[in-house]
Amino acid sequence: MEHKDYEELLTLHALDALQASDKRKLEEHLERCPECRTESVELRDTASLLAHASTPAEPRAEVRERILNQARSGAGQRQSAGETSAKMAPFRPRAAPRAWPNIMRLAAALAFVALLVGVAVLWQGNVRSRQELSRLSQQLNQQSDELSRDRAALARQREAIAFLNSPGIKIVELAGTQTAKTARATFVYDQATGRAMLMTDGLPVAPPGMAYEVWFIPRGQSPMPGKTFTVDAAGQATTMDQLPAEARENPTIAVTLEPKSGSPSPTGAIYLSSPTS
Amino acid sequence: MQAQPSEVSDNELLRLVAHGDEQALAVIYDRYRLILFGLILRILHDRQEAEDVLQEAFLQVWRRAGDFDESRGRAFTWLVTIARSRALDRLRGLGSRAKHTDEVVAHSLRGETGDAAADALQSEQGRIVRQALAELPEEQRRTLLLAYFEGLTQSEIAARLGDPLGTVKTRMRSGLMKLREVLRQESRGL
Repeated sequence: MEHKDYEELLTLHALDALQASDKRKLEEHLERCPECRTESVELRDTASLLAHASTPAEPRAEVRERILNQARSGAGQRQSAGETSAKMAPFRPRAAPRAWPNIMRLAAALAFVALLVGVAVLWQGNVRSRQELSRLSQQLNQQSDELSRDRAALARQREAIAFLNSPGIKIVELAGTQTAKTARATFVYDQATGRAMLMTDGLPVAPPGMAYEVWFIPRGQSPMPGKTFTVDAAGQATTMDQLPAEARENPTIAVTLEPKSGSPSPTGAIYLSSPTS
Repeated sequence: MQAQPSEVSDNELLRLVAHGDEQALAVIYDRYRLILFGLILRILHDRQEAEDVLQEAFLQVWRRAGDFDESRGRAFTWLVTIARSRALDRLRGLGSRAKHTDEVVAHSLRGETGDAAADALQSEQGRIVRQALAELPEEQRRTLLLAYFEGLTQSEIAARLGDPLGTVKTRMRSGLMKLREVLRQESRGL
């Protein structure tokens, strides 16, 4: 490989976009070529500027506290080389009594070094396996969370299908208002029992502390509160509800944004509404 | 520390951190939390995961500051590299849940020059870089951002965009060279 061939590899390397085999090849070359090393440093500095393409964001204040507390509590057992040797200094073997033959002193020193190396290796291995364990257990937790979420979603879907198949149900389409033009929803209810279900799509994710609330508006009367709900990233939610007896004759259905605990009468902006009858 | 935090260089701060100075760690955190959290959040799209990773990254800074070698790059590069690798590791760990490619691409296409609120948080350097990115041909920008924020290799990017590998390599090189020019001008000018 010619020296100039490495230029392209250096760019890709700076972006960590090299295949493993090219990466090895380049790293071997970097060992030998100071010119490419300089180039590599500058390209990496450049690539790191891409971080600025993301929008700066403020983490919660407690993250700072957590980091400083952990640093203070020694959670980060320090691994800097300088520090290690400084700490080791007091344990450096003193000059052995003259009576010790040189060979014994050498053997003792070697044994001591071997012991230190052994301790370091064990300690590092231990740190690594602990990290691996915690990573695995985190993964396991995530998977089991996902599984239980999937199960709950499946149960809800079954319930919804059974409901949709029951005889005598009515369907009301809700359209997004000016506030949420792309949102829409379908409200399905059983006039006899009042069992109802609302399926939304395209609603914006509610801000923290807020939730959507369903309203049943019997003709010529004030809105009656239904359940509150939140939506997933796609703006979707399926909510089972109970339609009050007074509101089972061609009600208007609406959805507003309210405090999470719900409101007795609507206070926030209207996001969805069925055509008023 | 004697000097005002704003006067202490990043390199000096990292040396202090390497000697166990927690206050220096706090200064680095305050100086870079916005950009690093923004970066991690852009990769993970989940605030809680991102805060976790930010914490991990800073604890790594705390433990490994002694490894920082200023002859091998700027302190900013060292910090950003830690944050990005941690975030990409987490992204791979999350596996299928993190399939948000379209969103990332859409985000990058919405333009990197950003809105007014975000600009208020941007450093001067950030503004210059965003401006330079905005001036790159769209394909170059997109290729760079895919590599950077999704951690894709050259062949993965080629497969993703349906472009020949050679084209992808050329775009990455041209894009990065243009950015380097910006960095050079900046170090002369600022």
